[in-house]
Amino acid sequence: MVGRPLTEAELVERARRGDQDAYGELVHAYQGIAFRTAYLLTGNAAEAEDAAQEGFVKAFYALRRFRRGAELRPWLLRIVANEARNRRRSAGRRGKLALRAAAAVPSGGAAPSPEHSLLDAERSRRLVAALNDLRDEEREVVACRYLLELSEDETAETLDLRKGTVKSRLSRALAHLRERMEVDDV
Amino acid sequence: MSELELALTNLGRELDYPETPDLAGAVRERLAEGPQPAVWRRPVVIALAALLVAVAAVMAVPQARSQVLDWLGIGSVTLHYVDDLPKIEGRQEFELGARVPIAEARERAQFPVLLPTLDGLERPAVYYRGDIGMVSLLYGTEDEPRLLVSEIVSPGAIDKLLTSQTDVEPVRSGEWSGAWLSGGQHILFLPVQDQMLRLVGSVLVVHNSSTTVRIEAAVSKDEALRILRSLK
Repeated sequence: MVGRPLTEAELVERARRGDQDAYGELVHAYQGIAFRTAYLLTGNAAEAEDAAQEGFVKAFYALRRFRRGAELRPWLLRIVANEARNRRRSAGRRGKLALRAAAAVPSGGAAPSPEHSLLDAERSRRLVAALNDLRDEEREVVACRYLLELSEDETAETLDLRKGTVKSRLSRALAHLRERMEVDDV
Repeated sequence: MSELELALTNLGRELDYPETPDLAGAVRERLAEGPQPAVWRRPVVIALAALLVAVAAVMAVPQARSQVLDWLGIGSVTLHYVDDLPKIEGRQEFELGARVPIAEARERAQFPVLLPTLDGLERPAVYYRGDIGMVSLLYGTEDEPRLLVSEIVSPGAIDKLLTSQTDVEPVRSGEWSGAWLSGGQHILFLPVQDQMLRLVGSVLVVHNSSTTVRIEAAVSKDEALRILRSLK
């Protein structure tokens, strides 16, 4: 007989009691977003992997402090993000985005014309360059809120900020990005 | 959503991230190895073994028993005796978290945050630190704090390393019990961050049935207890 899959809350309860297999399932569920978060914050794949792995290990031993009924994803991301930022600070460098846009393929419809693809690629390149000109604290909220598509609440928890701070930093960051993009258009 | 916000969201979907490594497998392997001892844990184990011998003798006295157990764990704070404090490189700061209005701190912490009500105290700056679920009330400035009251409910959130040079005096006041730590240096260790901070000065650490409170200030034990009793 095949039992129903365990819910996240049930996996958390089991992991809290030391069940490493249950915790492994939770890691598997969130490893993608955790790695991408760490990558955006460190700008380095190897450091992102180390930070995410270390964060997940620490989170396992900290599970007894996880509040029952709370959202697990932002709680995990906060620990991973903290680890990533510590590594970036230790390395003494800014968290520039080591990113490139993948070949733009529209989500539906016909393939774009070569001219259209070039324009999209150029716009993405300029946007990444503008993001890299932001201060770390502004780039972090933009990365979490838009690139990772976290909600404002999740962004606040992941970066351990109050929601109002996230709003104000986003507002400033968007203004700076607009300025930069307009300058490039001149 | 503005055009720029839409462009950022689309950028996030088009980004060529490195392939996600098999973190689940790596984490399973790490966990199977068991917790890795931090550098200071070996002397702690030795010191605790020695302490337990002493405790065994004291435990024969029923009144002393509860006091000794309290010394080893005060709510969210665990005290460890070590022969020598570990060296800490560079300047370390105790991160209080994000500054928030008191109402937001209460909402996020989800426990009844208490405030000192002594006459003459101004409104504190309130901070919330999510990773250990701690609310801190800072009087004075971050550069020149006069009084820091930290409240926390998470078990095992803070370890303190002490040597025999630090006096640990059991205290009890109403529903609160704990210890007054004075003299010498002690180290505050945050397991969730692997962060160690060297502290100088006295601190009152107490807990009741739900909350652990740390009161740090350049005040006497009696004054710290007055602050504690004024918490509302």
